[in-house]
Amino acid sequence: MKSVVKLFGSIRALDGLSFTVKSGGIFGLIGPNGAGKTTALRVICTLILPTSGEAKVFGVDVVDGADEVRRFITYLPEEAGAYRNLSGWEYLEFMGSFVAKSKDDVRQMVEEAAEICGLGDRLKDRAKTYSKGMKRRLLVARALMSKPKLAVLDEPTSGLDVLHSYHVRTIIKRYVQEQGVTVLLSSHNMLEVEHLCDRVALLSKGKIVAEGEPQELKQRFESPNLEEVFAKVVGFA
Amino acid sequence: MKELKELIRDPKILVGMIVVPLILFPILGAVMNFSVESAKETATKTTALVLNHDSGENSTQFIDYLGDWLRVFKANASTVDEAVQQMASYNATELIEIPQDFSQNVSTNKAVEVKFYSIYSGAGLLEGIGSSIVDSVVVQFNRNAAPDLIVAEKSSIIKGKAVENVDPRALSSLMISQAVALPVTMMIMLTYSMQIAATSVAMEKEEKTLETVLTLPMDRFAILMGKLSGSIIIAGAAAAAYMVGFNYYMGSFSGLSTGGANLDLVSLGLVPSAFGYLLLGISLFITLLSALALAVILSAFAEDVRSAQSLVSYVYPLVFIPSLILMYVDINMLPIWLRWILYAIPFSQPIIASKAVIMGDYLTAGLGIAYVVGFTLVIMYAASRLFATEKILTAKLKLRGLRKGGRKSTEET
Repeated sequence: MKSVVKLFGSIRALDGLSFTVKSGGIFGLIGPNGAGKTTALRVICTLILPTSGEAKVFGVDVVDGADEVRRFITYLPEEAGAYRNLSGWEYLEFMGSFVAKSKDDVRQMVEEAAEICGLGDRLKDRAKTYSKGMKRRLLVARALMSKPKLAVLDEPTSGLDVLHSYHVRTIIKRYVQEQGVTVLLSSHNMLEVEHLCDRVALLSKGKIVAEGEPQELKQRFESPNLEEVFAKVVGFA
Repeated sequence: MKELKELIRDPKILVGMIVVPLILFPILGAVMNFSVESAKETATKTTALVLNHDSGENSTQFIDYLGDWLRVFKANASTVDEAVQQMASYNATELIEIPQDFSQNVSTNKAVEVKFYSIYSGAGLLEGIGSSIVDSVVVQFNRNAAPDLIVAEKSSIIKGKAVENVDPRALSSLMISQAVALPVTMMIMLTYSMQIAATSVAMEKEEKTLETVLTLPMDRFAILMGKLSGSIIIAGAAAAAYMVGFNYYMGSFSGLSTGGANLDLVSLGLVPSAFGYLLLGISLFITLLSALALAVILSAFAEDVRSAQSLVSYVYPLVFIPSLILMYVDINMLPIWLRWILYAIPFSQPIIASKAVIMGDYLTAGLGIAYVVGFTLVIMYAASRLFATEKILTAKLKLRGLRKGGRKSTEET
């Protein structure tokens, strides 16, 4: 992203946002609620248009080449849901059918997703019977099953308990290592990001206020964790 | 108090139960009032064509007597069929056939049968006014001359042909009673299918699945068509079910006895032909499609199912008002400005078409279909534009903002 500004009426959601994600790693956008994380991810995923500036995914402009961008990304919104009356398996099949080239591809994707989410026989049950954690695991699996070049995950562990969060983080990390998928995620849980991301950007009021590897940032700001780094950067501590 | 506040502040309840009746009934009242006024005016202008087979003085006196009450013209014809052909040029709605032996019978105080024909035009409540006027004139004449001197034999002229022994008023009552079915069913079908279409998009928003779908590698228009296709199937099934039911319903009037007269609408030609049914089916389907597309657009401005249903309910007066008006009054009896308003509302078209096809007026039905197709294309284009932009996610029509005349767009950051 380069100097991206996004206005919603008089609200400046993104204020000249610029950052670059290296291929094959996990990049985290971190910041408090309202910092502009979701807006940045939505611009990248072609859901909303930048007011000014440019955003490219693997060299393809998200405005001019929106259709092409959608071919190699997957997006997991923060509060995403699954279709209530479809079983987990049916949901994965339905979503897979948009990206797969053949029925065999769909089957392979769904089997892959079943392994990622670890829901076992519960995949045969309707999504409305799932707990929040199960649903999130299903959706993370959906985002990764097609082995996208870029998986954009908005607060992937949002609202999950410790065990479910751990499981989802493990899935993401393993998938990046094994499949070479690039992950761009957002979180306001800085401790989580510290353990998961290779590189992070701290957002405040639509701008990046600091960027680097978690270890490097902690050293630069002489802080024990990213939470304190952020507090120092925005002058809160 | 809290319960009352919650109910009153729910726009669906406010609009559906309070605002709509407040608007609806005064409008209907005004239309019905106009209809009554129009009926009075029609009554004073009743025009009759007289086919006189009698050359005596009594028939001339009778015609003069009729002239005191009606606008009377003498037909230049020898048969009823010829006279019927001349009625349009005199703008006549009534035809009176005086028999050859009229004067002779009247002079000897013998009862004489006079045939009274009325044109059936499908004018709803105003139908049969001319016939009633003629009735009262005959009663008055008998009162002055001798009881039961003139025996009125009532017949109808349907689609330009005289049909003997079909009382126009009985026919009119029957047609009004059956004309209620279509608007009522239309109202139910339109409101129900609009709710379904609105729910299908709003559900995606409420269940937070829309964002994911919009990032899939597929054309946005295809997503819209996917949303509409389910609704189209429902619309098609609804139109087909309706046509089957309507056909059965019309068939049930075969051989019905009303007011002492045996009326068989099928043999009278007062049911749609196969082509008429086809036009009516198309009109119904296209209208449903336009309503569904409109519901999809409106639901794009809602955050959840409940607010989508509230938004859709704002369209209901456009369904209810034409249906209730056209249930009782023919569109051609309304003032020109109101006629155009009703023509402009696409949801009026199937009701207008249903009356038109019964009367064999396929042009009106066809023009209505063309108009609704145009309307639907505009709505579909607007819907596709909406789906192609970020507005499908960010547009939120707030009722409070609407009341203040503004639209607010908000977004999570």
